[in-house]
Amino acid sequence: MATHGQDPLLHSEVRQASTGGYFAGYAASIVLMLAALLVTQQHVLTYPAFLWVIFSLVVIALVAQAALFFGLGLSPAQAWKSVSLILTLPLFVFTIGLSVWMFHSLAPRVMPDTMPGMDMTQQPTLLE
Amino acid sequence: MAIHQRPATPDSVLWQHEAEAHDDIATRTLGFWLYMMSDALIFAALFAAYGVLDQTTNLAGGPGAHQIVHPLAGFWQTLAVMTSVFAYSLASVAMKMRSQPGVILYITIALVLGLVFIGLELGDFARLIALGDGPDRSGFLSIYFVLIGTHGLHMAFGILWMLVMIVQVARSGFTPSIVARLLNLRMFWQFQASVWVCVYAFVYLRGAF
Repeated sequence: MATHGQDPLLHSEVRQASTGGYFAGYAASIVLMLAALLVTQQHVLTYPAFLWVIFSLVVIALVAQAALFFGLGLSPAQAWKSVSLILTLPLFVFTIGLSVWMFHSLAPRVMPDTMPGMDMTQQPTLLE
Repeated sequence: MAIHQRPATPDSVLWQHEAEAHDDIATRTLGFWLYMMSDALIFAALFAAYGVLDQTTNLAGGPGAHQIVHPLAGFWQTLAVMTSVFAYSLASVAMKMRSQPGVILYITIALVLGLVFIGLELGDFARLIALGDGPDRSGFLSIYFVLIGTHGLHMAFGILWMLVMIVQVARSGFTPSIVARLLNLRMFWQFQASVWVCVYAFVYLRGAF
């Protein structure tokens, strides 16, 4: 690791750069997004299956980028970046997932006109 | 950590008041990484709002995702941002090789591809606004413009940062501060590729189903 007065280009984060690794990350990102595009344009899957395929391709692409672009790992130089990422990911997923889930279940429950075959006059009251 | 063994002399200190081998570059990159984690949460909030507003009720009679996103056109943006990130990554390989011209060349390529990306995005925005489908048209279009625009704004600041770094590398070479900034910019630029993967899948691909 570089210290005061040492050549900064000897720092481990500079030495970590590698053409092969970056090219692998680049190729993986392009190929996975191309696969996702082709799946989208085929229009053969049901919506839930489509979502799972796209989600899986995105996760693989992000893991490839984390490993090959950012060089994340368990080495002492990178461990704290990996730890902070692992602690941030649940916040990221819960923020999106819980908000979307909450509003999507809220709409059918409180908006009578979005419920098929039911209008306001037939709405059961709490006592029924 | 580099440990400097010094022979005991009459004026040797009994203890150091601060760490002897303070790793400045690692401190700066970790700090910047933590900023990026909080930036990811800004995107999480925008994705959540997009997921909530991407519903028939919020279209207000305007177009939905299916009418405005074009996954193939979005793929050219994917290609531009990924190739730009790859070019910047090659700049950091050139830095490892101590090549100032190499760093400047690859950052310039990354910068041009970043401009291509922003140009494609602004073209999309201009077309929508010309059709009367600007951010004021509906709740859905508001979040569409804000989400895509926030990523575009990150790209624009990355490009500005690259311009600054080209000048600094040309004028001062690889000083410790400049090396730390180049490393942070590498993370920032790679991070934009990760965010774009999420935007492309969530908005362009999901919207086109």
